[in-house]
Amino acid sequence: MKVSKIADTCVTYIILIVVCFIFFFPCLWLILASFSKSGSIYSFEGFFPSSYSLDTFRTLFTDTAMYNYPRWFRNTLFIAVMSCLVGTFLTILTAYTMSRFQFGARKTMMKTTLILGMFPSFMGMIAVYIIMTQFGLINNMWGLILIYSANAPMGYLTQKGFFDTIPSSIDEAARIDGATNFQVFTRINLPISMPIIVYTALTSFTFPWSDFILPKLLLKEKDLYTVAVGLMSLGDTEFARFAAGAVFIAVPIVILYFCLVKFMVNGMTAGAVKG
Amino acid sequence: MKKKITALLMAGALCVGMLCGCGGESGQGESPKESGQGTNPGENAGGAVDLSNIYSGELEHNVTIRVLENDTAIEQGYFQELIDAFNEKYAEYGIVAVDANMDQYSNLADDGPYGYGPDVLYQANDVLMKYVEGKHIYPIPAESLECFPQITENAWNAYQANVNGVSYYMGVPVNVQSSMLYYRKDLLPEDWETTWDKDGNKVPDMVENWNDMYRYSQEIVAKNDGHYGYMRSLYDVYFSSGFLFSYGGYVFGDNNTNADDLGFSAGNAEIGANVLLQQAALMNEGCIDDSITVSAYSRLADGTYFATMTTPDVYTLFLKELKLAYQAEGMSEEEAAALAEENLVITEVPKLPASGDLAEEDPELIPLKAMGGVNGYAISAYTKSPNACLAFVEFATGYEMMLRRNQMLGIVPARSDVADAVGGVSEIMYHNLDAGNIVVMPSIRAVEQIWTPGQTFFEDLAKDAFRPETEKKYKTLEDIKNGLAAVDTQIYDAVHTLAGTN
Repeated sequence: MKVSKIADTCVTYIILIVVCFIFFFPCLWLILASFSKSGSIYSFEGFFPSSYSLDTFRTLFTDTAMYNYPRWFRNTLFIAVMSCLVGTFLTILTAYTMSRFQFGARKTMMKTTLILGMFPSFMGMIAVYIIMTQFGLINNMWGLILIYSANAPMGYLTQKGFFDTIPSSIDEAARIDGATNFQVFTRINLPISMPIIVYTALTSFTFPWSDFILPKLLLKEKDLYTVAVGLMSLGDTEFARFAAGAVFIAVPIVILYFCLVKFMVNGMTAGAVKG
Repeated sequence: MKKKITALLMAGALCVGMLCGCGGESGQGESPKESGQGTNPGENAGGAVDLSNIYSGELEHNVTIRVLENDTAIEQGYFQELIDAFNEKYAEYGIVAVDANMDQYSNLADDGPYGYGPDVLYQANDVLMKYVEGKHIYPIPAESLECFPQITENAWNAYQANVNGVSYYMGVPVNVQSSMLYYRKDLLPEDWETTWDKDGNKVPDMVENWNDMYRYSQEIVAKNDGHYGYMRSLYDVYFSSGFLFSYGGYVFGDNNTNADDLGFSAGNAEIGANVLLQQAALMNEGCIDDSITVSAYSRLADGTYFATMTTPDVYTLFLKELKLAYQAEGMSEEEAAALAEENLVITEVPKLPASGDLAEEDPELIPLKAMGGVNGYAISAYTKSPNACLAFVEFATGYEMMLRRNQMLGIVPARSDVADAVGGVSEIMYHNLDAGNIVVMPSIRAVEQIWTPGQTFFEDLAKDAFRPETEKKYKTLEDIKNGLAAVDTQIYDAVHTLAGTN
């Protein structure tokens, strides 16, 4: 029995290690390539660079005449942060409203958003472009923020599902104590909804952070490029710079994750019906 | 009752929608600009353009013109120098030229109608001439420009468009692009002057004709140490089609203006394709796709390749890689730079054997007619300052700026006086263009249909060199001819299938 348990554990670990390696290898390769001294993919010995240096990262942030990575980074950060704040706010409000209130056409609206969500977002690109030209929002980062934020509540179903799990008896108890709808939302439901708020914030941040199609469509000026568009514009011989830029782009998401993950755990235990 | 009213309303809405489509063309009331088409204000009822209605000759005051330049010109600082000099000259009029700050491959047809395009564009002739049909660029009064007599007719022809029976120049040629041979002088055999210089002209035979290049490549490959002689991605229509043109092939008939007449298989084009097939046998499978093209910079630098063929505008990239390779060997930066400049040679492409047999001894030689392009300036039809734009184009194509452009970027100038003054590669390429050895890319819209069928054929041809004998597709010249004829048919179908539907 003991032997079979050890064997089972070993096999499980071996499978997990192999799967981890398969997923991690491309990342590892890209990270090592970003430290390549020559900067060319064709000077690699086998899979990996023959010599390493930090020059590419130095170049990435200092040689900005043609490829202004710091500016792309600032642009992306601004768009992602603003979209995250506005998008999260709108999504949570939409989900809470759909979960807690009964009103005419509620079901119709839910069905409509469900169906609309089935169409790929790039289907409306030409329409979006023409509308943005009429609003004068081409070459304007607020144009992108507007689209990302307006799109965010379309995916409210996950959040609604979370609010549905919070017993309405909590709301009723609060109302008996004289709380208004706004107070019930802010004082009672929001504190115990931190996991879903954090989840919403993370997804609202990561989509604009890595999106390519919309910024490519709406931002024509190089000074307004986001990291994704900027990296795509790199020349054929700039592979190491591309790799370094691609590696560095992960930094804010990792930081954001580690900052927010504790709220996900804390939120779980922030409130409950005490029997 | 409610349902009946709703049904009636919906039926009414449907009828209104249907009737909306019944208006005549005159009733559309939509300006060409609103429909995404440019318009020439000087256009009369017959469709001819009176250029004096576009260019009044009076410079607009206090205007900013946005100029789209290529990345190399910006990176090397030439563009800043150009706009500084222009702005200084036209300061009294308040005209300021600025960087359009856009991607060098931006499409004016997308951005122009909505007011986001540049006023002046620098792009290749086939790209600029695509804008003619949609009237996105203005015709240019070329004959009145100082550079007009200095630029060869072949270069001007690349920018000529016929609208309603009248010819116009739609751009001003700036530089000529075509194939050049790059090779490493230090990879030549030590005794090349005695064994590889039959005519004693102090130029190695292998860079003068493809037969000796083939023989030298065979010698290198025979050592089997991972090194190669001449290497080039053969799938690339831009570089490979020149071999067809040299034996009678062409793209479109009537001097590349008639899209009804396809000529990839014309004349003895199959002999040219067979030359490529022989070359492929001495390369690796990287010649099938773009592997060799993108690796050539570092492979030439590390000595894996002896020679390659590409355009002259990437000279600085080859130089940079070679310098880095020398530095990696322990040389100082100055030493490495000097040695790289000495050893990296760029010269005209070798001559071909008239027979097409690369193994032939002492063949009769013919020049390689390479495909080329002419980059130039055009003026957007959406600009509010056409006179200022014309002044900019005239300034940028003047002798001084063209010379400076050559010095800073190494481009081949389209002006004969500048080409003669700088000599070397510029002079060779200019005279090749003048002599018709550079076949300028067609400037008609149908040219966008040639690339995919052509690429598919050249890929298949290159693959044939690596197929087992029993599976080879191109065993005879006739097989190749049939393959090229299929390319012509595919292009013809692509150009004409949907032509009558709009």
